Amino acid sequence: MVQRGPKSGHLRFLTNDHARDIHVSSLEVLESVGMHCPSAKILEIFDRAGAAVDFKERRVRIPQHLVEESLKKAPKEIVFCGRNAKNDILLEDSRVYFGMGGTPVPYIRDVENGEMRRPTKEDMNQATRLGDALPNIKFIMTVAGAFDVPYEAEYLHEFESLFNNTEKPILYSCPGAYAAKKVLEMAATVVGGMEELKRKPILALYTETVSPLSFSDVNENMIEFAKAGIPVTNGPMPMCGASGPMTLAGTAVVSNAENLAAITLCQLVNPHTPVVYTGWACAIDPRTSRCAYGAPEFGMGTSIFNTTMGRYYDLPTYGFGGCSDSKLPDAQAGAEVMMNGMLAALGGVNLIHDCGYLAGGSIGSMEMVVICNEIAGMILRIVKGVKVDEETLAVDVIKNVGPGGHFMSQKHTLEHLKELYLPVIFDKDSEEGWIKGGKKDVRDVARLRVKEILREHSAEALPRDIQEKLRQIVKEAEKELVKTGSGSGQMSLHHLPPTRPKT
Amino acid sequence: MFLPDDEIVNAVLSFDADKVTEATKKALKEGQDPVKVVDQLTNALRVVGKKFEEGELFLMHLVAAAEPVQKVIKEILEPEMLKNKTSRTSLGKVVLGTVAGDIHDIGKNIVGAMLFAAGFEVCDTGKDVPAEQFVSKAKEVNANVVGASALLSTTLPIQREIVEKIVATGQRDKVKLIFGGAPATDEWVKEIGGDGYGENAIEAVNVTKKLLKIQS
Repeated sequence: MVQRGPKSGHLRFLTNDHARDIHVSSLEVLESVGMHCPSAKILEIFDRAGAAVDFKERRVRIPQHLVEESLKKAPKEIVFCGRNAKNDILLEDSRVYFGMGGTPVPYIRDVENGEMRRPTKEDMNQATRLGDALPNIKFIMTVAGAFDVPYEAEYLHEFESLFNNTEKPILYSCPGAYAAKKVLEMAATVVGGMEELKRKPILALYTETVSPLSFSDVNENMIEFAKAGIPVTNGPMPMCGASGPMTLAGTAVVSNAENLAAITLCQLVNPHTPVVYTGWACAIDPRTSRCAYGAPEFGMGTSIFNTTMGRYYDLPTYGFGGCSDSKLPDAQAGAEVMMNGMLAALGGVNLIHDCGYLAGGSIGSMEMVVICNEIAGMILRIVKGVKVDEETLAVDVIKNVGPGGHFMSQKHTLEHLKELYLPVIFDKDSEEGWIKGGKKDVRDVARLRVKEILREHSAEALPRDIQEKLRQIVKEAEKELVKTGSGSGQMSLHHLPPTRPKT
Repeated sequence: MFLPDDEIVNAVLSFDADKVTEATKKALKEGQDPVKVVDQLTNALRVVGKKFEEGELFLMHLVAAAEPVQKVIKEILEPEMLKNKTSRTSLGKVVLGTVAGDIHDIGKNIVGAMLFAAGFEVCDTGKDVPAEQFVSKAKEVNANVVGASALLSTTLPIQREIVEKIVATGQRDKVKLIFGGAPATDEWVKEIGGDGYGENAIEAVNVTKKLLKIQS
């Protein structure tokens, strides 16, 4: 049965008029300066559709009508499937779901000793199993990465890990046309063919245009996914003052323009391809130039525009929540995660990703994923809001108990216990209880919970022959990619010792 | 750092490209030596760099100061110096670029501007630059330093390739190799056999000077 996440959209910073202003501004940008595009394949698609393409300058200027027609073709809802149907989620309107992690991270926080080190494929397996186990995590990306394999084939190894270790929907990257074809082949192997995959998309593509206003060759992966009719999510990340104007609204125009270009591309390749709207205006830390995931402007820029435009276009949406700039699962991380997670959820972002990202996406932390699962639970409770009706007003119960009585033993009380969110790892104990329990910090509790889950939980294993087929596809693709890649396979980051960036 | 309260320095510190052009033209019209004007401009950039280091100014200020300075030097002052057959004293030649597969070049450009401001000749090979090109360019211009930037963890390995190719072409004792970019670290640069790592543009200049044994 398809899960239908709670509808939200309680928070509306911007009006429909604002949305229209951003939309029209983006159309003007696309029509006048357009998108830089080094890929001849992508240019040809726009050229055939009647866009103004300059092959020499590698530029496509996209007329309004193409964008508007494409927006009309994109489906309003997507059933994003898990390989186990009980994990399917309906993406539409303001239904809210949290997801684990994002794209691969250069460092993982070792769960045993808290040190930063390069993640391995085994970390990828473990992180995926962890996300598969946590109840408030509804779709899977990563807080690890396979850095111990030839880097040219990194994403294929990561997909192998994802398909094997989760039964939940997978949203992930595979740069370029070749990797995209191979990943689709893997997904089709898991579900029993390409036609079945189209009916049951157990994955969606995540890709990024390059801000400001550029496609890259990597984006040819969108063509492959569109051809197969599998959902495409393009996440432009212009940063205020660097790759977008300093103002959030201006950066939203850049981001929206890139998104519209990507959506148009997908609809031109294959009308009615499911696309997930992903309009983000990202904040920069001006002192370090790093993307400031924990900044208030980041929360607003990635959620408010996203939901405003997503609702304006009536498309499913993908945004941020659960990410922090802190290097540790500490007070800063908790505050930032609650802020961006809450903004996204109250705005009504369908797919809220990045739970467990620290250091602005440079460090993945499994403890933080567990903490985010708890925070997501609190947020989802708030999204559900307060129900006021005869039953909940409980006037008869109040009369029945009367002055000076208690409500403990009332049938109504027991029936409505679900009114309360029950925390799993956050401490609500007495001081005495806390001391007796070993005076644990939430970080310790989260770490123990991670270890417990990894001991106890595995996704249902894929049939052996399918596991073997996946392994074969990766093996063959790796040979091909290493041969044609920009460097030799020996240069994988696995040569790196566990390193720590300078602080 | 002592700085005379002059128009050129003030123009750079106003972050207004038109003012920088005006002040440069005016100085030349008044008969100032173009080499001196370049010195004043780069002095002003160093002030901006210092203020950035101290947290008083931001990255945007660095870029907003550096771009107009580079522009007037290239378009106005270098042709003048060529005419006069004069040139600025160079601390050394640096070949810079963003590695193959990577198109993120803002950081590399700022490093280039600050190296230039410090007195280096900068030969910028651009972005998405294959390892071979760093190597051939270094040979062609007789570089003292090669610097490569990578923003992606997947393009970081190209930095190792540059070291290997520099060694293979027998240039290792002629050039110092510096590396930077978000996923790069001190340890990584040591691991691949490079010489220096700078976390930001200011540190890149300090590291370069130290490697070439230039007094700061």
